[in-house]
Amino acid sequence: MSVDPLLTETVERLLHATATFEAVERAEGDGWCAPVWDALAEAGFPWVSIAEEAGGTGGSLADAMAVLRLVGRHAAPVPVAETGPLAAWMATTAGLAVPAGPASVAAGDTSLRVEGGRVRGDAVVAWGARASRIVALVDGPDGGVIVSAAPEQLDVTPRRNMAGEPRDLVRFDVPLAEVDHAPAPAGLDHGAVLRRGSLTRCVLSAGALEAMSQLTVDYTNDRRQFGRPVAAFQAVQQHLVTVAQCSVRASMAADLATRAVAAGGGAFEVAAARVVVDAAAVEGTRAAHQAHGAMGVTREYRLHHLSRRLWAWRHEHGAVAVWRRQVGGEVAAAGPDDLWPSIAR
Amino acid sequence: MRFEMTELTGAERALQAEVRTFLAEELPRGTFTPGLGMNGAKDPEFSAKLGRRGWLGMALPTRYGGHDRSAVDRLIVTEELLRWGAPVGHHWVADRQTGPVLNRFGTEAQKQRFLPAICRGEVSFSIGMSEPDSGSDLASLTTKAVRDGDGWVLAGRKIWTTLANVNDWFVVLCRTSPVEETGDKRLGLSQLIVDLHAPGVAITPIPFIDGTADFCEVVLDDVFVPDNLVLGDVGAGWGQNTSELAFERGGPERWLSTYLIVEGLLRHHRDAVPAEIVDLLGTATSTYWVLRNLTLSIARSIDAGGSPSLEASLMKEMGTRFEQDVLNAVLALLDFEPGLPARSTFEQLLVTAIQTAPSVTIRGGTNEILRSVAAKGLQPSGGGR
Repeated sequence: MSVDPLLTETVERLLHATATFEAVERAEGDGWCAPVWDALAEAGFPWVSIAEEAGGTGGSLADAMAVLRLVGRHAAPVPVAETGPLAAWMATTAGLAVPAGPASVAAGDTSLRVEGGRVRGDAVVAWGARASRIVALVDGPDGGVIVSAAPEQLDVTPRRNMAGEPRDLVRFDVPLAEVDHAPAPAGLDHGAVLRRGSLTRCVLSAGALEAMSQLTVDYTNDRRQFGRPVAAFQAVQQHLVTVAQCSVRASMAADLATRAVAAGGGAFEVAAARVVVDAAAVEGTRAAHQAHGAMGVTREYRLHHLSRRLWAWRHEHGAVAVWRRQVGGEVAAAGPDDLWPSIAR
Repeated sequence: MRFEMTELTGAERALQAEVRTFLAEELPRGTFTPGLGMNGAKDPEFSAKLGRRGWLGMALPTRYGGHDRSAVDRLIVTEELLRWGAPVGHHWVADRQTGPVLNRFGTEAQKQRFLPAICRGEVSFSIGMSEPDSGSDLASLTTKAVRDGDGWVLAGRKIWTTLANVNDWFVVLCRTSPVEETGDKRLGLSQLIVDLHAPGVAITPIPFIDGTADFCEVVLDDVFVPDNLVLGDVGAGWGQNTSELAFERGGPERWLSTYLIVEGLLRHHRDAVPAEIVDLLGTATSTYWVLRNLTLSIARSIDAGGSPSLEASLMKEMGTRFEQDVLNAVLALLDFEPGLPARSTFEQLLVTAIQTAPSVTIRGGTNEILRSVAAKGLQPSGGGR
């Protein structure tokens, strides 16, 4: 699962230049971050892993997740996860066109269905109002249908997650015939969609925890009390170690889940990664904030761009309680003799 | 800090399958009392069987009886033994650290003398580091060796020496030059290989918290150690000992000590698993899965020539905390009172685990020391502090 270092270096450079503290801060007011999106979109980065013939940028799922990890690391307020790895993936898998510009998806378990020739139901859609298209898996009388609708065809109520990222409430009530649609092919079911969505949150969170670990090391080496850097105190070192451990656990889990999904599986790995990342986000943000003292709970300092996203993302694309029960249910059903083989898979 | 994801090759999976088959045939469940991780029983016969299979001293050179295998191969064998609760006590220290340290620092004669026996599972070693007044501050130790003819006369007290009462040798870290001479307490230390049956060695078991007697005090009363049993260079003991600790810290024994408690809980409820236990299994399995892949990553890094000591410190600190946390999570859902005599293997393991759990975050370097070591490796982006 090798990723071209040129890809990650380029994206890192773009994000470093554009996803500044001020840009991220301003996006919370505007609901959009044009400098970051434009820089990434111009080079095609939101469409990595979508085949070039289909209108994407090419590359593997691992490449796309490497880009997304950097998006998480910089707390970049742009729908990279939604546009390529989710919306374009769903659309192209069903034979629909790649939407132009930023796109999004109906996240998590939705109630969307086809009834009397109309698509109805409610969904949470990240950057829904800004998306050129909202792609969704809808239950129809003859099975799943992938629909691709413009937000103008839907009823969009603006809402944010607690990190200030748009998470709009979208009500579908539109004739199926008026939106692009195609039957969902075998394999593109609710489980697969939820798995992909969940994978993107694992990867984003791993990136954010990585940044948080370094930020905490940097801050505690700069900040002096009692005549020396606070990082010199054992009590503070404990927090640095905790954040670093949370970061490596989340990164490893996200990498393993990416590899499994890329290989066509990932039911166990994504669920387990979600459990690992959730615990890492909780423990990591607590330790990072404690090490930062009062500075970390102000809006003037960057920590909250990362911590508030971690707190928000853990609730998106499926609740951890469900993922935990999925892993537990699988090993409980397999029995005690198969517990270890599940771990050392 | 790098934890690169890796996966097992076909040959490595075949080895894993081979070890599983061996354990199922050699130690069928229900026919032996499993141990908790590296506290597995001492069983020289079992160790000899592993030796015959080529599963001891795996990474040591073939010319000394080893097998030139990788750290990953050794990990595969070790994790299977530990999760099975196999009796690893006899060969544990020799296989994990004495062998590699002898191979790295020992003389040709020492390698010829000890390594083949270690690989056959014949010879057992203990660790002679801690003293009554020197634990975390190990370099402050006072056990002293004084030059005498063609050897050294060793005097002092070592403590918390696991299995000293039944093992053959122990590697003693001692002072060979006074601090006043070296100016730094980490200088002037040496490692001596000491025969636990030599004249002047007195071993007294220290009853352990759970009533077992594997823990010992070893009094060294002018024990003569010939020059040919000095390990590595005189005065280089601290550096050699530090490298030994790196072998100790990154392995699966740092998160598998209470694994059989989790498996036992599932076995206890196998007919109908209550929802809260399903949840516990979800958390535990996910955590084991990621810790196991981090350990695998460390082993792969060692095979690639890396020295992942920061990574190993981070692993041991979080792995051992998890060992305690997962035990407590099980206890919170227990539907009977654990007591003695144990009515099942699960109950026996619980009683032992509850009482010995505090030791996992202490042995091999306390978590407090590990955090200090690891924190020094976490550098600010602008360079050193």
